[in-house]
Amino acid sequence: MSRLGKQPGERIARDTTVTFTFDGKQVQAHEGDTIASALYAAGQRTFSRSFKYHRRRGLMCVAGQCPNCICAVDGAPGARACTEPAREGITVTHVNATPSLEFDAMRATDIFGGPFTPPGFYYKTFIKPRRLWPLYEKILRNAAGLGKLRKSQPEREWRTEYRRRHADVLVTGGGIAGLNAALAAAQLGADVVLADEGAEPGGQRLIGGEVHEIAALVERVRGAGVEIIDHGSALGYFDGMVPVWQRDTLHQVRAAQHVFATGAIEQPLVFAGNDLPGVMLAGGARRLVSLYAVSPGRRAVVATTSDRGLDAAVALRAAGVQIVAIADLRPDAGDAARALRADGVPVFAGHTVIEARGSKHVDHAVIGAAGIGSGGDEHEFECDLIVVSGGATPASSLLLQAGAESAYDPARGHFALAALPDGLHAAGEVAGAETDETVAWSGELAGLQAAHALGRATDESTARVTELEGLLAQPNAVAIAVAPPVSGEGRGKCFACLCEDVTSKDVHLSIEEGYDSIELSKRYTTVTMGPCQGRMCQLPSVRLMAQETGQSLQQVGTTTARPPWVSVPMGILGGRPVEPAKRSAIHDRHRELGATVKWAGDWRRAYDYGDPEGEALAVNRAAGLIDVSTLGKLIVRGPDAGAFLDRLYPNRFANLKPGRIRYGVISSDAGRIVDDGTICRIDDETFYVTTTSSGAGAVEEWFSWWLADWGDDVQLTDVTQGLSAVNLAGPKAREIMGAVTDLDCSNEAFAYMDGKQARIAGVDCLILRIGFVGEVGYEIHFPSAYGEHVWDALMDAGKPHGLRPFGLEPQRILRLQKMHILVGQDTDSESTPFAAAMPWIVKLDKEDDFIGKWALEHYAQQTPTTALVGFTLPNGHVPTEGAVVVDAAGTPAGQVTSARHSPVLDRTIGMAWVPEALAHDGAKITISDEGVTLVADIQTRPFYDPDGEVLRS
Amino acid sequence: MSFVLECPNCGVREVTDFGFGGEISPRPKERPSFRELNTYNYFRRNVAGVQREWWFHRSGCRAWFIAERDTTTNEVKFTALP
Amino acid sequence: MNLDFLIPAADDGALAHSPMEPPARKAGARFEVRDGWNVAVEFPSRSAAEDAVTWADVSHLPKVELQGASAAIDAAAGVELPFGTAVRQGDAWWCRLTGTRALIVGARPALESADGVNTLDVTSNFAALTVMGPLARETFARFCALDLRPHVTPVNALRPGSIGRQPGILIREDEDRYLFLFGWATGEYMWSVVHDAATHLGGGPVGTDALAKVAVGA
Repeated sequence: MSRLGKQPGERIARDTTVTFTFDGKQVQAHEGDTIASALYAAGQRTFSRSFKYHRRRGLMCVAGQCPNCICAVDGAPGARACTEPAREGITVTHVNATPSLEFDAMRATDIFGGPFTPPGFYYKTFIKPRRLWPLYEKILRNAAGLGKLRKSQPEREWRTEYRRRHADVLVTGGGIAGLNAALAAAQLGADVVLADEGAEPGGQRLIGGEVHEIAALVERVRGAGVEIIDHGSALGYFDGMVPVWQRDTLHQVRAAQHVFATGAIEQPLVFAGNDLPGVMLAGGARRLVSLYAVSPGRRAVVATTSDRGLDAAVALRAAGVQIVAIADLRPDAGDAARALRADGVPVFAGHTVIEARGSKHVDHAVIGAAGIGSGGDEHEFECDLIVVSGGATPASSLLLQAGAESAYDPARGHFALAALPDGLHAAGEVAGAETDETVAWSGELAGLQAAHALGRATDESTARVTELEGLLAQPNAVAIAVAPPVSGEGRGKCFACLCEDVTSKDVHLSIEEGYDSIELSKRYTTVTMGPCQGRMCQLPSVRLMAQETGQSLQQVGTTTARPPWVSVPMGILGGRPVEPAKRSAIHDRHRELGATVKWAGDWRRAYDYGDPEGEALAVNRAAGLIDVSTLGKLIVRGPDAGAFLDRLYPNRFANLKPGRIRYGVISSDAGRIVDDGTICRIDDETFYVTTTSSGAGAVEEWFSWWLADWGDDVQLTDVTQGLSAVNLAGPKAREIMGAVTDLDCSNEAFAYMDGKQARIAGVDCLILRIGFVGEVGYEIHFPSAYGEHVWDALMDAGKPHGLRPFGLEPQRILRLQKMHILVGQDTDSESTPFAAAMPWIVKLDKEDDFIGKWALEHYAQQTPTTALVGFTLPNGHVPTEGAVVVDAAGTPAGQVTSARHSPVLDRTIGMAWVPEALAHDGAKITISDEGVTLVADIQTRPFYDPDGEVLRS
Repeated sequence: MSFVLECPNCGVREVTDFGFGGEISPRPKERPSFRELNTYNYFRRNVAGVQREWWFHRSGCRAWFIAERDTTTNEVKFTALP
Repeated sequence: MNLDFLIPAADDGALAHSPMEPPARKAGARFEVRDGWNVAVEFPSRSAAEDAVTWADVSHLPKVELQGASAAIDAAAGVELPFGTAVRQGDAWWCRLTGTRALIVGARPALESADGVNTLDVTSNFAALTVMGPLARETFARFCALDLRPHVTPVNALRPGSIGRQPGILIREDEDRYLFLFGWATGEYMWSVVHDAATHLGGGPVGTDALAKVAVGA
């Protein structure tokens, strides 16, 4: 491990040792190191193999921006070695190279594969013969990528969670601008959150070594009450909410005012071999030196368009790096260049780097006059490091996502912010500030303005705003040259996009092929679509396109900024693994009774108790008890309640007598079935409405929607969860009911469709005599707090009579025997009551208007083209629900909606939509069920107890 | 989509608190022609801009209310009980 | 007929149970019968949890819905019920939900004589937890988007809204104490949500005996 002498701002604790492995080799690090800084100190130069060509890639940005150091940590791909802390015992592995980083078999794609791998190559080269595509696909998938997820991962505890944070002001970016903004806003009393990507706030300034000044500022910010989220990456902007990813937590920060102090992204230069290990951004080289005391190289050539590169040259010289030559694109490189020249460093004004040479690593650099190809004035230098700085582009993605606008600034050579919507503030480099002073001022100004927008202005702060605006209005631009789109093209691959291995030639080719807008070119070449999310490639590709098409950069424009701004593990977005589940109050009892529990909508329901046909048979032969607590239950109450229901249902309820029950089908104004259920009148002003289990929420919303519109004197209360409900049914149900209540349960006293109140085991119950399953049955409703108590009392009382619990599946068999429809199963959004064989439910002679009346009047005049009917099959085959009914020509003409084996009838029964012509007893239909052809007999009346004699007895 | 709405009863909540009831298209007062009925049932203006629409505070007071929202920006101009 | 079948007031030894009884039992709760309810009164002591966040199952609290014109509801309450604030009267919170509906939590007052007001027992519509402690707000932040900062949600604030991805009602009973109402059928689910978030912050369940009386007025 080779380290430089102590650097003033270094973040490593030299008296500590952390050991991890990289591709099986032990690596020593210090606390404070990243994986990359430790590896670089240990001599590692190749960090990954590229996406398509499998070229060696080395450290470039050392700031988590570029894709070059992506690796897998403990099997999880997608980590960036340059920001991922080195931790004791972790296992780091390279990605996208087989068998190893040093020898990668797929390197052949780079050497020989050029002509075969242009943009969209998988649609061109690998398309014939077509039958081989699966093979091609397998090879291509293996060849490309940024790492692999293990197919079977040992289960691991990884707790990720959401944390909601509301704030007055969110400051995104904890550099000097962000810190000043947070401080200014907090000092005016605002509740401020500061999210910073780094291990500690300070941003770019940390590399300058002013750690004590920064620490003091951070202390003041904390002291002012600001919550600082370190390691916090803002993923995007969602209508005022910014998700900030911090380690295993996703902070969802909703703020009234947003300050974005997201800085600027140093840009690479596009030249031949610009991806060779040893080509490093100026900021990256400086970070290695100042934060980790690691020397980036011994002999460096610097290529720059501004003072950034010259500052880096000075810093690197101080760290003992020999600066062989500097190519400064500016015609007059200014004072900094003169000082370097005076120190004996050759500075070539108006020059840039045109080629990096070397096989595994940079060993020479060629500089020359800027522009395409080579000029005559070339110089070659031996070196092991090429430090490049192509200027900086504002990191404005989050602002643009939030509705800000940008425009091309020809003087700065990048897209600068042009307009900000209300509630949004930009500070620091992203807002165009370039000097230490203006960065701090613009931060303070943004913080004050954010607080002022919250009504927190004071005289003093108002005066300060005016003062800062004056200071910032003064010219303070730093001299910069605009980098050419590409230099040295023809001397080797010039990469516009490192993530996706897109070269300048690929961009030219895509334009030639007609993808001549930046959005099209993006999708075709995939430039900006890789892990850097355009940080490194957006501007170069826009420049290339402008050059090729003759448009201005403003005309070319940029691609739409979209989240996520930072690549984020899916698990972080997933939150906690808890799924909302509703359970009946009798749920645990069902489990004890051996129930199979399944999801039914958002409920956990007892599907059966192991013997669905036996359970169904018990209901037909003796008695059964089913938990129907999931039924929607609604209390409709008020002077207008009867009239209200008359307007909602196609049949009548105002004339229903207290203590009586009526079945109802809700239809929409389009005449389509919405839901069904029973309604019991409790008293003059009160109705008890049940709905289907799945329709409970929707029906309440439907009712209250019309109520909001009509304004009737009616109150709705959803008591679905407040009441348990069980259905006791079967030939023995009456005896059991007689045993548990003091009711006279004779058919005369308690008739079909009667509702009564009685106590069962001390609990006041509403008992509805209805018959969904086709036997004498009582639906018993009572407070959920007594769920198991009442269930147990009924089971005990029924034991001598052979009472068995039955689940959802046997209930489906039983209701099918009666051809009772399941809304949503046998009907769909197009079904009318007429087609669903329920014309009797529609009372078109009702004088007053009701929902669906106009449409139903229309449908009453029409013969439906299809009808819902029953069918039986002789040979025991039960068709799949959804199987197709075909006509004589084999054309689909309907479908099976339900089918079961009926244990009591011992044959296959079902319901299907069939052409109207076939909807009569004696007709035959042909069912095509996954290749099997079946002939079924139509039956229009219930399979079991067709006249309802059992039900009413 | 992560905007907020102000429920007239409960106050400001995330959009996920609410159910969307679509743009307001009043039910005909008188018996409509078949064409008018179909227009009412199936046709929506689908405005790119400010539209009046129904919202339901599904996770809160369970009341319907009316909102004016810019469909291009999701900015909610105002909310009120019907 | 009437709506008495909504009221959990059984006799013959019928015991009312909270939907959170199974998880409370697993967590070691000791139950006692209180007013016909099987109540988790005590859990194995975890004093460290009290410095973080604790929660108690209070699903047995009586809950009554009031229906009527706004003025009639205020008249029945004997005080104007504002939106967004729960009013403490005796042992109960009076909560206005809409212009024509209010919820009383904690008592079942005799309102038969109140003019123009209907009542409906909704006790077993809502399960309830009291969540308290210095990290109570942080706990809610793990599964709810409500803005519970003290200046936005002061003591006595009433906040109906989505909590744990289900409809809920939150009442800030005191500085660090919230009453959280949610659907009865989601009881076991919601316990798991609160348990998951709170235990990660060092919290644990407590019995109702650990609950101090709510301070009236603020």
